[in-house]
Amino acid sequence: MAGNFWQSSHHQQWLLDKQDLIRERQYDLSVLSEEEYQKIFIFFASVIQSLGEQLKLRQQVIATATVYFKRFYAKNSLKCIDPLLLAPTCIFLASKVEEFGVISNSRLLTTCQTVIKNKFAYAYNQEFPYRTNHILECEFYLLENLDCCLIVYQPYRPLLQMVQDLGHEEQLLTLAWRIVNDSLRTDVCLLYPPYQIAIGCLQIACVILQKDHKSWFAELNVDIEKIQEIARCIINLYELWKQYDEKKEIQGLLNKMPKPKPAPQR
Amino acid sequence: MISVYKKIAMMDYEFKMKTQNERVKVEDLFEYEGCKVGRGTYGHVYKGRRKDGSDNRDYALKQIEGTGLSMSACREIALLRELKHPNVINLIRVFLSHNDRKVWLLFDFAEHDLWHIIKFHRAAKANKKPVMVPKGMVKSLLYQILDGIHYLHSNWVLHRDLKPANILVMGEGPERGRVKIADMGFARLFNAPLKPLADLDPVVVTFWYRAPELLLGARHYTKAIDIWAIGCIFAELLTSEPIFHCRQEDIKTSNPYHHDQLDRIFNVMGFPHEKDWEDIRKMPEHPTLLKDFKKSNYINCSLVKYMDRHKIKPDSKAFHLLQRLLLMDPNKRITSEQAMQDAYFQEEPLPTQDVFAGCPIPYPKREFLTDDDQEEKTDNKQRQAQQQQPQQQQQQQSQQQQQQQNQQSNNNDNHGNPAKRPRLGPPHPSQVNPQVVPITSQQQEFHQQQMLYNSSSQQQQNFQQRY
Repeated sequence: MAGNFWQSSHHQQWLLDKQDLIRERQYDLSVLSEEEYQKIFIFFASVIQSLGEQLKLRQQVIATATVYFKRFYAKNSLKCIDPLLLAPTCIFLASKVEEFGVISNSRLLTTCQTVIKNKFAYAYNQEFPYRTNHILECEFYLLENLDCCLIVYQPYRPLLQMVQDLGHEEQLLTLAWRIVNDSLRTDVCLLYPPYQIAIGCLQIACVILQKDHKSWFAELNVDIEKIQEIARCIINLYELWKQYDEKKEIQGLLNKMPKPKPAPQR
Repeated sequence: MISVYKKIAMMDYEFKMKTQNERVKVEDLFEYEGCKVGRGTYGHVYKGRRKDGSDNRDYALKQIEGTGLSMSACREIALLRELKHPNVINLIRVFLSHNDRKVWLLFDFAEHDLWHIIKFHRAAKANKKPVMVPKGMVKSLLYQILDGIHYLHSNWVLHRDLKPANILVMGEGPERGRVKIADMGFARLFNAPLKPLADLDPVVVTFWYRAPELLLGARHYTKAIDIWAIGCIFAELLTSEPIFHCRQEDIKTSNPYHHDQLDRIFNVMGFPHEKDWEDIRKMPEHPTLLKDFKKSNYINCSLVKYMDRHKIKPDSKAFHLLQRLLLMDPNKRITSEQAMQDAYFQEEPLPTQDVFAGCPIPYPKREFLTDDDQEEKTDNKQRQAQQQQPQQQQQQQSQQQQQQQNQQSNNNDNHGNPAKRPRLGPPHPSQVNPQVVPITSQQQEFHQQQMLYNSSSQQQQNFQQRY
């Protein structure tokens, strides 16, 4: 469905309103500050990225999984499903949709165990607690909450086209691509269409590399205000990152995070 | 006690309960018990009605084979959720049944499909009873198939499994006589594929509708592969015979090379000249082709002759278009867009939205299938034990087997049709034995139609004698 973004469920159903997002997060934000909330999402975006890399998935699949993850929590509190379970579930579902092929249950599980142990031991003292049946059950809940909208448009393709149009500078593409990856740690994928995100990321890359493409940007037929909002979001992320030591803080944040409550005991 | 206390909750109880209460179950919303109308590798299809009577329409409920979200179920849901075109089947809703982990898809019900329509024509032809259909029906069907495929292709979706059974036609109702392309289970995006497409599932297209480049080991699916299949369907609509009909042993082979199927194609089309298909030398199985085939065996074969034998004149517009769809070289095959602009569609009679052009629909409605596990098992066994071919003499079967088979549904997959022999009328608690219960005239007639695609029953042999 690379053909028509304008008629897609992504455009028609999943470009959310900033105000709605704030409203939906009300419960979580009564427990966590906005900054803490964002830090938790930065952390799980990294978990998804690491799982994906360990499974040798393409960035497109990883990005789709991350968007599923963010869409789920855009409609639900963090306490509804443990994000440590939802993260691999999103990877599992995205790999099927993005025609990477089905990842075997055992391979997914082993990967979760390895990645949590080797890369995120600073966040989790215990080993990965879930089993295949948990992931499979979770997958149904995820699909329901996504309202079966599985095709996600990513900024990578428009980015490639634009860089091509600018005369294909390898350095510019590499940097802008990385900024798109980083943008998955913000809300922009929930709020703006992917081509706008691509432009925003490209603009930041141009500023960093001190490339003057002002006239090219000026000729684009886009809402410049939106592009500025996107750029602001991403720059805020970099500001936050500068003064954030994840290794030190994350355990405290995960402890503070709202958690699922089990069925009442009789 | 301690272990219970320590047990982590993966899902919030309140959230779980809330979602469960909000979740609508397919069986609460729809009445479909005993109304199975299709059965295949994809799962089961039922004809259903809303229980609350809020509308009187028929719906198709497809229960996907297996449990959970297989990759093809995922692809089907993902794509159908996005696609919207009058000639592509419309996914209304998805039901996830958490208890048995079954996935259900809700569609509008299509009363007809090209497999049944062509079968009806074949039977009528054999019985020398012509079917009354509007003159432009085949043209209208083809035009709408092309329209739907053009939409899919321009959205970077390949169907990959086009065959008559997957081309549905709406019955009476607001969309009367409209083509709906269905069974996108194998459809996939092909824009910048993440993995060579041939790696994922070895064999998808039913051999008869399979383009020569696939049979020669092409690594990637293309739009041209769908176009070839449309050409095959067009020829089959014109003649009521599958143009590249071929005996086939093993449907699930991982080797794309298929000698008999290629032989059949060359028998109709002639052996491809290098000047007509330059890149044939680059095909992975080209050496095998040179080793296995002799050009001289096909010297007298051509599409002109084949179609002429079936009373389609080589100077007709229909033949011209067919020839452009069935070009051996995939690079030369026309696109759906070009095909829709072909002179054939400009010539009277013009294609109509209702392929039946307002005339009465001569085809029977879908029949309900029996739903008996035992039967399915036996049926499978028989499927393995023998080859079911419409035009071939079958090995002698034991009397017992024949009786068994006569009383069972044995509509086989060979024509790419999922359905088994239908049961007539509403579900019945006990299986009726046709040898005991007098056969109604309607049943009798139906048996005759059915025989064409029957396998090795006595009926078939009688029929072949008449034929």
